[in-house]
Amino acid sequence: MFRFLFRKESQVESLIYDYLENFHLTQENFRKAIGACILNHHCEEFDFFIEQTHKYESRADDIIDEINNLMYGKVLIPDSRGDIMNLLQALDKIPQLLERVLFIIKYQRIVIPEALLPDVRDLVRISLESCDLLAKQVRLFLKKKTGARALVTTIDINESHCDHIERQLISTIFDSGMDPFLKLQLKDLVINMGEISDQTDRVSRQVNILIMKRRV
Amino acid sequence: MLSLLGGVFLGWSLGANDASNIFGTAVSSKMIRFRTAALLGAVFVILGALFSGQAGIETLKGLTSFDLSQAVISSVAAALTVTLMTLLGLPVSTSQAVVGAILGIGVLNNQLNFPGLGKVVLCWFGTPVGGALIAVLLYRAMAVVYNRLPLTLFDSDRLLRAGLVVSGSYGAYALGANNVANVTAVFVGAGMITVSAAALIGGGSIALGIVTFSRPVMETVGKRLVTLDPFSALVVSLSLALTIHFYTLMGVPVSSSQAVIGSVLGIGIVKGSNTVSQKTLKRILLAWFLTPVVACFISLAITVASRLKYISPLAS
Repeated sequence: MFRFLFRKESQVESLIYDYLENFHLTQENFRKAIGACILNHHCEEFDFFIEQTHKYESRADDIIDEINNLMYGKVLIPDSRGDIMNLLQALDKIPQLLERVLFIIKYQRIVIPEALLPDVRDLVRISLESCDLLAKQVRLFLKKKTGARALVTTIDINESHCDHIERQLISTIFDSGMDPFLKLQLKDLVINMGEISDQTDRVSRQVNILIMKRRV
Repeated sequence: MLSLLGGVFLGWSLGANDASNIFGTAVSSKMIRFRTAALLGAVFVILGALFSGQAGIETLKGLTSFDLSQAVISSVAAALTVTLMTLLGLPVSTSQAVVGAILGIGVLNNQLNFPGLGKVVLCWFGTPVGGALIAVLLYRAMAVVYNRLPLTLFDSDRLLRAGLVVSGSYGAYALGANNVANVTAVFVGAGMITVSAAALIGGGSIALGIVTFSRPVMETVGKRLVTLDPFSALVVSLSLALTIHFYTLMGVPVSSSQAVIGSVLGIGIVKGSNTVSQKTLKRILLAWFLTPVVACFISLAITVASRLKYISPLAS
């Protein structure tokens, strides 16, 4: 009832859900791109999924711009406005990281050595699982449904696990007899991959604070 | 009718200043647009003055019996006090200024109604205390309900904004009903206008102040007082309206500034934080004491000067 009085608010709400849907599509394409890269990094499929990831990452920026424009038009009370803008800015770093990882592989012509593959697969799988959980947590927060706070713990455990894999990968890289330049390239790639779960954990904590803040 | 201009001026300054107590927090933090606040404020102030303003007019009129010249002196003295205190940057109460001015003239003419005066002064103590008490009770009760409502972030946002509009309108209604007496009661006492005409002229002049000059005050006072979260702002707004309405029913004009400060203090008590600084509190207490005293002396001085023919008769 009276929703017609808050038309712009409904527009922002719908755009946020569009953003979350787009966030999921970026992840899906990243997952497929990494899968293709592991099989054959020179294949057309890899390039196609990089393109798709880039497309959805750009679309994410467009949605955020649209939300910001509405926000500057004084939609929502300032408190909610600030909370949502900060949350989306933090969340938007994740698609950027996904895109960056793919670009590092593509433009630096990196071939992930066989010995690192199991750990890399685990790192990507757990990081993307955290991303899914984060999107679910944001939806629960927006809908004020229970269970959002419980997800913080799972995302935190995933982040610790990813940190452990990251350290293990770096150790394996520097224990190997690879070319030193390749070692540095791989280290940079692993650090960027690890940053996905770190950022997911940061955003998850931010959502948790917002949930606590909204209780009076 | 020119004599009424003093009252209209007082009403205008009251509207310009006191609208900030009603909608200041919401407007300064951009929760409500100024245009919406001013329009709602003006309409509801007039409605409040017309439908519930009579009791306050009767009380102030009964404090003393004035002729037209004394009525004009009390209006001018109150308006000068409000201006002076505003220049000094103190949170001024128009109600206290008006009562102080009436007292000044009453003392000189030995026309004081002590029981009526006692009731008014007692209510001055009761305004901030009542505001704080109502805010504490409202916050606790509303928080229980609010936390249990299955609201999404957007629903909660809509609810708070709508709540601020409704409570602000109610506050404006209460302000009009309560403070119209400050503006025109003395003219009713002097037999110049009827109670209904006083309510209409008083309400209209307060509304004029809100529409024409309340924006800068709303934007600065709202920010200067304290930054509240939206839920607390809604509680303060509702508590202010209830406090003023309560005193309207008692027929005593009170200060919306004191009611709002009491309400903000109440929020501080619930949240266990200092919502109003020690410095602000000292200034409020100083103004609380000075306003009626200064108004009393100004009206005394004008009356004496008028009698000694230093100034020409103010109304004839």
